[in-house]
Amino acid sequence: MTSQRTHPAHPLLELRNLSISFRDRRQIAVDRVSFSVLKGQTLGLVGASGAGKSSVARAILRLVQADGGEILFKGEDIHRMKSQQLMAARQRIQIVFQEPSRSLSPKRTVAESLLEPLQHFAIGSPTERSRKVKKILLTVGLDHDVLHHYPHQFSTGQKQRIAIARALVTKPDLVIADEAVSSLDVSVQAQILQLIQTLQAEYGIAFLFISHDLAVIRQIADGVAVMYRGQLLEQAPADTFFSQPAHPYSRLLLSLASLDEPSPVLNHQQQLNPDGITNHRPSACVYSAGCAEVMPVCGQSEPARIEIKYKNQNMRGSHCVRCHLYDETNINET
Amino acid sequence: MNTAVLEVRDLNLSIDSSNGPHQLLDGVSFSINAGETTGLVGESGCGKSMTALAILGVLPATGMTIRSAGIMLNGEDLTALNHAQRRRVLGQDISMVFQQPATALDPVFTLGQQIAATVHRHGISGRKACRQTMLESLELVGFSQPEKIAAAYPHELSGGMRQLSMIAMATVCKPAVLIADEPTTALDVSTQLMILQQLKRLQTEYKTAILLISHDLNIIRQCCHTVLVMYCGRLLESTDPESLFSHPRHPYSAGLLGCIPKLSATRPPPINAIAGQVPALTDLPPGCHFAPRCDRAIAQCRHTAPEPESDNGRTVACFRPMP
Ligand SMILES: Nc1ncnc2c1ncn2[C@@H]1O[C@H](COP(=O)(O)OP(=O)(O)OP(=O)(O)O)[C@@H](O)[C@H]1O
Ligand code: SF4
Ligand code: SF4
Ligand SMILES: [Mg+2]
Repeated sequence: MTSQRTHPAHPLLELRNLSISFRDRRQIAVDRVSFSVLKGQTLGLVGASGAGKSSVARAILRLVQADGGEILFKGEDIHRMKSQQLMAARQRIQIVFQEPSRSLSPKRTVAESLLEPLQHFAIGSPTERSRKVKKILLTVGLDHDVLHHYPHQFSTGQKQRIAIARALVTKPDLVIADEAVSSLDVSVQAQILQLIQTLQAEYGIAFLFISHDLAVIRQIADGVAVMYRGQLLEQAPADTFFSQPAHPYSRLLLSLASLDEPSPVLNHQQQLNPDGITNHRPSACVYSAGCAEVMPVCGQSEPARIEIKYKNQNMRGSHCVRCHLYDETNINET
Repeated sequence: MNTAVLEVRDLNLSIDSSNGPHQLLDGVSFSINAGETTGLVGESGCGKSMTALAILGVLPATGMTIRSAGIMLNGEDLTALNHAQRRRVLGQDISMVFQQPATALDPVFTLGQQIAATVHRHGISGRKACRQTMLESLELVGFSQPEKIAAAYPHELSGGMRQLSMIAMATVCKPAVLIADEPTTALDVSTQLMILQQLKRLQTEYKTAILLISHDLNIIRQCCHTVLVMYCGRLLESTDPESLFSHPRHPYSAGLLGCIPKLSATRPPPINAIAGQVPALTDLPPGCHFAPRCDRAIAQCRHTAPEPESDNGRTVACFRPMP
């Protein structure tokens, strides 16, 4: 990974059929998921609680083992990297969690928390490190005089800013934000979204932005991927997704999030089934129990991942969906 | 006819500190009619949960003092009740659903045991009758197999299921008033929607008056008849949700609305955040507390607090409201 540069046309991160399971493979958390994140772009990953979003994030950081599939970062499989190579990759991929306390130790001052990743990856001389720390602090909108404060002296929003500063101080290529704005007030959420957009424009960092809030995704994502019970049901460029969502589950999510439409009445048991994934028959569509458009074929065979073709193809990136309503011969007129 | 089930009159809450008392709630007044929902919004730390606790008369810390001109529940002043009378009222006539169901539920008892204990405490005797009422309450919030849920321990349920069980527990005595403090925070949209739909059903069934506390303005917009906007312990604006969303008058309401990401077919312009942050309650700016963050502030705002003024069903406390 020494001098390898990403070709602009190649994705920065590419997942190919990633599968993850827990409890000796009795619980499949992620089931053959493929998607890619382009350099400097934001991919929004949405899905209900338990859909497997965080498991995907943890696999990218190699915090959990994959059962199968590949995670290519700049073309190299993260799960096959040797320790030195992995160390280099880990410096280029950072994460921000929902709870800032997961990235910030209560016993460390802001300065210590921000210096730690630089020391860990042996970046720069001590003076350079302290200069970088001061600069990044300013970038996230905090003054130098907080350097010697401890986390409990800050509000949640400020702590999240510090957590973001810590993730950015090594100048990563990719930041995974796992529900990073979900527990914040709308006002603080707006400030953090503003901050992420500014940082992205300034440093060209790519984001894998995990959220269950579609309006937040709309605000910052270039592309959208939807997960449901471990599977990726749809991936599309944001403009395509929000104007022409293809999968019935995506359409449900959008109508739930939209204020202009009356909310559909949900079937409680389906939505609350906490361990539905273990009951899922591999020979059916994973969403068939909840789908309003279910057909006989949906209970008999699992839909393959297909790409929707557009007449005006060069206008868009690829739009992939797993649903029997679509097949390879579909051409969208728009 | 609309009758106010709950009427909060000039509620004040202060806490002692080494440099004198600090005002946590400052002259909060509102009422809720039977079968209606009033939403309470504002940034975290602005006093939403404190309002709920002060209404119930349960104070989370020592050194806190409540003063009010009355908290009327169906015409009866809660502040005039003695300890035993209050215990009877809480849980039966007025009950609460908390933000964190995990902390409100006891991990060592099954949900059935916990709900049955509430039923028993409020006058239903006999094991069978208690169990029957308990199972009905679980069924009413949408569980098709209430026995299964009743036999489960809190940790065996997902966050959404725990929250629904909490609602079952809070409504099992058919209270006249239900206070729900962030009942859907941290849940995904479909679970959120289901919980709100169940609250709505219970409300229709029992004519419950609901105080819905949330920082999620979209939820408030969908569920409420009236919205109260709170900042630093004061109510700044109150009106119906449509007027508030289409035409906010208070600059703080307008600021909050501007923070909501919009779901549109085309990519929205960069979001417009309110600058600065909520001041510490120990260090409130004089005059209008919002003045340091307000771009409409004038000199007067920095030394005098604006009084709430009502016009056409809308109350606004601001010297220079939005046109
Ligand atoms: N360490 C573990 N052991 C056993 N099961 C696990 C473990 N981690 C996750 N799971 C299970 O894997 C599935 C996917 O979980 P994951 O945390 O990835 O979901 P998520 O989409 O991030 O959900 P949320 O929105 O609630 O954060 C769930 O059913 C979860 O219970
Ligand atoms: S494959 Fe069938 S059940 Fe699955 S989402 Fe498509 S229409 Fe619905
Ligand atoms: S009173 Fe003054 S400072 Fe306060 S909100 Fe109105 S204009 Fe702004
Ligand atoms: Mg998660």
